[in-house]
Amino acid sequence: MLLLCPARDASPGYAVASGHRLEVRAVEETLEQRSERFERTALPFLDQLYSAALRLTRNPPDAEDLVQETFVKAFAAFHQFEEGTNLKAWLYRILTNTYINIYRKKQREPLQHTVDEIEDWSIARAAEHTSGGLPSAETQALDHLPDSDVKDALAALPEDFRMAVYYADVEGFSYKEIADIMGTPIGTVMSRLHRGRKALQKSLYTYALERGIVRATPEAEGAQA
Amino acid sequence: MSCGTPHDDCAKVIEAVYLYLDGEMADSDCVEVRAHLEDCSPCLREYGLEEDFKRLLARKCGCEEAPRELKTRVLDRLREVRLEITKVEFRTD
Repeated sequence: MLLLCPARDASPGYAVASGHRLEVRAVEETLEQRSERFERTALPFLDQLYSAALRLTRNPPDAEDLVQETFVKAFAAFHQFEEGTNLKAWLYRILTNTYINIYRKKQREPLQHTVDEIEDWSIARAAEHTSGGLPSAETQALDHLPDSDVKDALAALPEDFRMAVYYADVEGFSYKEIADIMGTPIGTVMSRLHRGRKALQKSLYTYALERGIVRATPEAEGAQA
Repeated sequence: MSCGTPHDDCAKVIEAVYLYLDGEMADSDCVEVRAHLEDCSPCLREYGLEEDFKRLLARKCGCEEAPRELKTRVLDRLREVRLEITKVEFRTD
């Protein structure tokens, strides 16, 4: 059982059988104590992790499996978590790693977009909009878009961009935290955020045009051209 | 300047919009940006748009409630894991 190794190594002092404590080191946490601490501090992030899992997997059944596996892995490694450090970011890192290890393999997708793909993707879209990305004074109109449109537009972004934007704007993580979660340099996070946001603005504006929420203006026509 | 004509340093300020809004800018630089925005309505408008957009995303894609069964599933699975840990511990003793 791969998952059990870290937990076992970390707690050599205890052994519990049939609810009877056989041996406990004074300073060591018992399995029950660790479980209690885990359920008290980590489990409250379940809804948030589920939201992030939905953004990653883009379908509810996989998101549920991912969250469950994340909690199992997190519990197995919980002894390594340092009290006082950022538990939320730690859980998100496990979520991301678990997703990469299980789901990307399952989907037989490449582990990373190649640089060329990212560049092509970015250049194609950069050519489509002006420096601002979004015609001015239209953000308020976007508020009238159904939530599903915004979620769909986010889901349509390539994964690396999607998750950078999600972690920054929805979860409020710092660049450093996002870099840790995604395992990339901070510069890469900033670049993904910039490109991801501009692409998202562009696609939301297109949704708004299609729904008649905004009307094409000369400025917007320029952005569309 | 409130005439709407861009300043020389507008490009620099616009380039830093995400650093500012994401709270990643040094305090001293924030003071400079705020001073610029007070005088420059085009930049202020751009900052306002980007800020609105950030808020829009947070509102529309925020926390979704997990299915109620998921918490039960997770707790059940954790119980199984604890049992497995217990068995392993017992054997090694």
